[in-house]
Amino acid sequence: MAIAHQFEYVKPGTLREGIRTLARYGSRAQVLAGGTDLISLISDDKLLPEIVVDIKGIPGLDKIELKREPARATVGVLTIGALVTFSDLRESPVIAKKFPVIREMTGWLASVGIRNRATMVGNLCSAVPCCDSGPILQVYDASMLVAGSNGKRKVPLNEWFVGPRKTVLKRGEIATGVAVPLPKKKHAACFVKLRRYEGEDLAQASVTVLVFAGNSYRVSFGAVAPRPVRGEKIEALLEGRELTDDLIRQAVKLLPEEIAPITDIRATKEYRLHMTGVMLERGLRAAVARLNGNGPEYGTSLI
Amino acid sequence: MNSIGKSPQRIDLLEKVTGAATYVDDIDFGARLLHAEVVESPHAHALIKSIDTSAAEKVPGVVRVITGKDFPYRFGLYMQDRFIFPTDRVRFVGEQVAAVVARDAKTAKRAAKLVKVVYKELEPVLDLTKALSDELVLVHPDLGNYTRCPWFFPQAGTNIAHWRKTRKGDVEKAFKEADLVFEDTYTVPRYSHCAIEPHVIVGLYDLTGRLTLWSASQSPYTQRNVMAQALAPLGLSHKDIRVVTPYVGGGFGGKAGVSMEIICAALAIMVKGQPVKVRWSRAQEFYNTYQRQGVIARIKLGVKKDGTITGIEHTLHWDAGGYVEYGANVVNAVGLSATGPYRIPNVKIDSVCVYTNLPPSGPYRGFGYSEFHFGLESHMTRVAQKLGIDAVEFRKKNAIREGDTLAYGAKMNPCGMQEAIDRAAKEIGWGKKEVSKDPNKAIGKGFACFWKAPAMPPNAASCAFTKFNEDGSLNITISGMEIGQGLFTVMAQVASEILTVPVEKIRVELPDTDRNPYEWQTVGSHVTWGCGNAVKAAAEEMRGKIFEIVERAHGIRRDSLYLENETVKCRDRADFELPLRDFVINGIQTKHGNFLGGPILGSGMFMPEFTSALSDPETSQGGHPNVHYTVGAAAATVEVDKQTGKMRVLKATLAVDAGKAINPELINSQIVGGVLQGLATVLYEDIRFDHKGKLLNANFTDYKIPTSLDMPVETVPIIIETPQPDGPFGARGVAEHTMIPAAPIIANAIDDALGLRMKTLPITGEKVALALNGIDYENVKGSTMGFCYVGHADAYKFKTSAKR
Amino acid sequence: MKSKSTTSRGIRAAITLKLNGETRRVDVEPNDILLDVLRESLGLKSPKIGCEQGDCGACTVLLDGKSVRACLILAIEVDGHEIATLEGLTADGLTDLQKALLEHNSFQCGFCAPGVVLSATELLNNHPTPTEEEAKEAVSGNLCRCTGYKPIIEAILAAGRKR
Repeated sequence: MAIAHQFEYVKPGTLREGIRTLARYGSRAQVLAGGTDLISLISDDKLLPEIVVDIKGIPGLDKIELKREPARATVGVLTIGALVTFSDLRESPVIAKKFPVIREMTGWLASVGIRNRATMVGNLCSAVPCCDSGPILQVYDASMLVAGSNGKRKVPLNEWFVGPRKTVLKRGEIATGVAVPLPKKKHAACFVKLRRYEGEDLAQASVTVLVFAGNSYRVSFGAVAPRPVRGEKIEALLEGRELTDDLIRQAVKLLPEEIAPITDIRATKEYRLHMTGVMLERGLRAAVARLNGNGPEYGTSLI
Repeated sequence: MNSIGKSPQRIDLLEKVTGAATYVDDIDFGARLLHAEVVESPHAHALIKSIDTSAAEKVPGVVRVITGKDFPYRFGLYMQDRFIFPTDRVRFVGEQVAAVVARDAKTAKRAAKLVKVVYKELEPVLDLTKALSDELVLVHPDLGNYTRCPWFFPQAGTNIAHWRKTRKGDVEKAFKEADLVFEDTYTVPRYSHCAIEPHVIVGLYDLTGRLTLWSASQSPYTQRNVMAQALAPLGLSHKDIRVVTPYVGGGFGGKAGVSMEIICAALAIMVKGQPVKVRWSRAQEFYNTYQRQGVIARIKLGVKKDGTITGIEHTLHWDAGGYVEYGANVVNAVGLSATGPYRIPNVKIDSVCVYTNLPPSGPYRGFGYSEFHFGLESHMTRVAQKLGIDAVEFRKKNAIREGDTLAYGAKMNPCGMQEAIDRAAKEIGWGKKEVSKDPNKAIGKGFACFWKAPAMPPNAASCAFTKFNEDGSLNITISGMEIGQGLFTVMAQVASEILTVPVEKIRVELPDTDRNPYEWQTVGSHVTWGCGNAVKAAAEEMRGKIFEIVERAHGIRRDSLYLENETVKCRDRADFELPLRDFVINGIQTKHGNFLGGPILGSGMFMPEFTSALSDPETSQGGHPNVHYTVGAAAATVEVDKQTGKMRVLKATLAVDAGKAINPELINSQIVGGVLQGLATVLYEDIRFDHKGKLLNANFTDYKIPTSLDMPVETVPIIIETPQPDGPFGARGVAEHTMIPAAPIIANAIDDALGLRMKTLPITGEKVALALNGIDYENVKGSTMGFCYVGHADAYKFKTSAKR
Repeated sequence: MKSKSTTSRGIRAAITLKLNGETRRVDVEPNDILLDVLRESLGLKSPKIGCEQGDCGACTVLLDGKSVRACLILAIEVDGHEIATLEGLTADGLTDLQKALLEHNSFQCGFCAPGVVLSATELLNNHPTPTEEEAKEAVSGNLCRCTGYKPIIEAILAAGRKR
């Protein structure tokens, strides 16, 4: 329906201009990038901003760049700019080659028409408990890149989410991108997303697994807690150990201590807990198999 | 045959593929178009104490604010129990209580928020048990005073809006004589049509006092009729109302009858001289149009050990919502046919329509049959299992045949049920167990039979006008609607067959009640039959006139004439050829120079004169309420992941008896589309109300309708043809039917795969996974409900407090 | 074309865009949604209003060649950009895809058709011979209630095979 609420619209041409506007308006401003989340919220009167700040005019925010340290080829950081869309990620050769699990995630996120606009940084800023980007970047120990009136800062993803629709972003700050360190060791990953069917759907639960050569694991869960969570107890259990049926069983047993799923109209907490266990098992096996060169192709649904 | 049985390109397809097709919201009305926003009740049941519109009226750009005080009239199709805007009380969350009309949509939306309504909340009726108990709260205290059609039986002083009783033979005796009697309870929640086009209507009450409505509707004439009845107190009658219906973006029953459209009529009258548009949001589509009713059903079946069914007792309690002016007919239709397509000598059906404080229910593809087939066809397979008889053989043995006596005493029409069963069973590989390569997965097959008759009043007529043009092309005007089913193409084929004008030279015009002749409604899957008969009659009348004028002008006996390739030819004279285009407008010139004949016109009318809804209210015996049944059988192969519960339909097949497939590809389209829509009700669609009657998932984010990624791996349509004697070229309708068996074939397949019998819908992966882990979904789902019943199906007592 | 940088609430700003190949200028308020402006001010009716929440795909248009949901975009955002709708696609005659959709009787009520055609056009522009999975994914954001999708997918694959 038509948007009844009236607001001002600005499209700053520089980052500094954007920051100044956001600092001046504080919570009365909303940042607009892809708009796939924001426009609907304003239309439903859930958000009533005084001013909408369109950041699509700020240069330099639309890049996917892998920068390696000059003398150390194995050390690198992937920067995904705030205006990078999920389609950009899906089509990026460096993502396909170096971070295939990010590409895997985009395949189950919404549909093409949404992916062409929705941005990963926007997804992280929306901080909805079911966001798909959060858990993936958490296993990589990524950091949000933030710019504000007080200069730039980096916020580790583990500290980024406060709760549903709330991040640590301060007044006058804008997320300019996310920095993902390129893992030094050989590694493989797996993203498993529980949806109600094969079409476009939000996660009822999600599991991300990252495994390094030498049996080091990172696991993270989405939509089963107020924010994406790392499974630190499970990671500690698995550390350094070869994956066996029994070890997986023990890991699954730890789940109730790691996650706090709720019952809502999308799923019951019982199903979420059960499925997280199934997805954790299948995700671990797939990631390890991928590491060994004989796993399912990235993008294959495991559930 | 030249045209019948072929599948030419749809005559409306070029418009749709190029974006030229016009729907109501696409029509431009210029700068004078006003926009409306409705004010809605937040309560499921409340008295309206006051409505203060003063603040809204002051907003610049607001033209009028309308409440029930301006329109204290009731309306309804089968029973007038509904208000344009209620004046005394609201009966469901989202019911309209006022509307703001403004110069633009944003202003209307802003001003609507300023209307202040004071309610006194009443206890809402949100549990069927309570609705039918002795300490009931009445949803319609005035039920006894409502105007209604004579074959509905409301029980004043209760929440029972209608009770259809069908009694044949003696069920108690039948159960005593049975070797096995098995009974159980099944539940089906509410569902939403989800046509992609929302309801939208523009109304103009012009300065001469004529009301024109451009409506996204399946039923222009019925809309005109319902409005004429409702607005009669204002002095309006049918001549004063015109309904124009452009292409509709999906109906499925939701755009039949009158739901939100009457609001526009009322607003248009109040802002005389200015057109006003009312367009529903997607959320309003969900909670303030029609919903498919929820139902809880108890089935008791008696069988002999050789598989012969001796008797059935089928009790259905329907959650019909706050208004049942249309929904009561769903309950009625089921009450007559809830035996399913079987020969059963002893029948007791009680179909009870209950008022509740949830959204109004109405027609949805299947019209109650989708709802009852879930329980019945699940039950049939279970009984077969208990008898140790194959589920398909059991159905074949009891399948209804032509001439069998139906539950209400009339006789069954010709039907190819045996062939449908055989071919569906063969297609699915019935009897061959399939095993998945994946040890986590199990594969099962499920089977179901189905039937449905159009549920119409006994005088539901169809008409057609036809006219030629100078080039021999043809215009057909009907008021049957093209809602996507392909009606226009089929009507063109019918006329083409008679007149030998190719389909590409035939136009079928969208309805306009000022120009196109009467059609009751495009519902019930009946228009191929009813409207087809009318078009055929019109074409035949034209052909008769053609031969008459050629006889007069050329002295050739008319019974020696025939048509071929748009030309009049003579069986006795190979040299005689007169192209239609030469004379169908201009007439035939004689050697004296004068012209005989002139423009050739045709008119056709079809009325099912043999139907009657009059019968014994206690038994439903007598009368012939259903014109005929379309029957069929369906099966599915389903693969289930035992850990996740997720199901994949590997194959779905559906065989339906079309009588004569006028356009086979269109029937196949109905099967492919209807099967997916049916599967969605089992696998994905999951409507949720909170305990205060508010719909929680009035959007596509949380009410999931299938995407292209959710198609079954394979869908195989099968067309059977056992001619319908009174149908055009032997045809009967196929449309709703393709949705009806979807739920039971899945339920039966899951039982086959996992030994898990699910008796409530939907059957989601979640429910299956939890069941496999020993958790009953009903125990953990929380405080939401899919229809007006909270609690376990098995705990429901089928009691009514009514004395009848 | 100069981008709009600041527009106050309730005040209209003139935006310029290339619409189906033609330069168009229209006045919009900040809170005007692109779908409404296309339909009401720019006279294009093929993008449809289905849900206004980006869930059904009926409002799909091509923005700089990419399929997007016009109901989730403010009109002012497209200042300086290019939009293509179904009307523009057909202007030079039917595309191979449209011919295939006709041959396969791919639509029933037709309401989803404009969105489907544009999503499939984008696919065929980027992947001229798509697989069945690619075809299904490309239109998975376009909800169709009538057809069951089968004839739509068949037509897309047929159009792909033609190349």
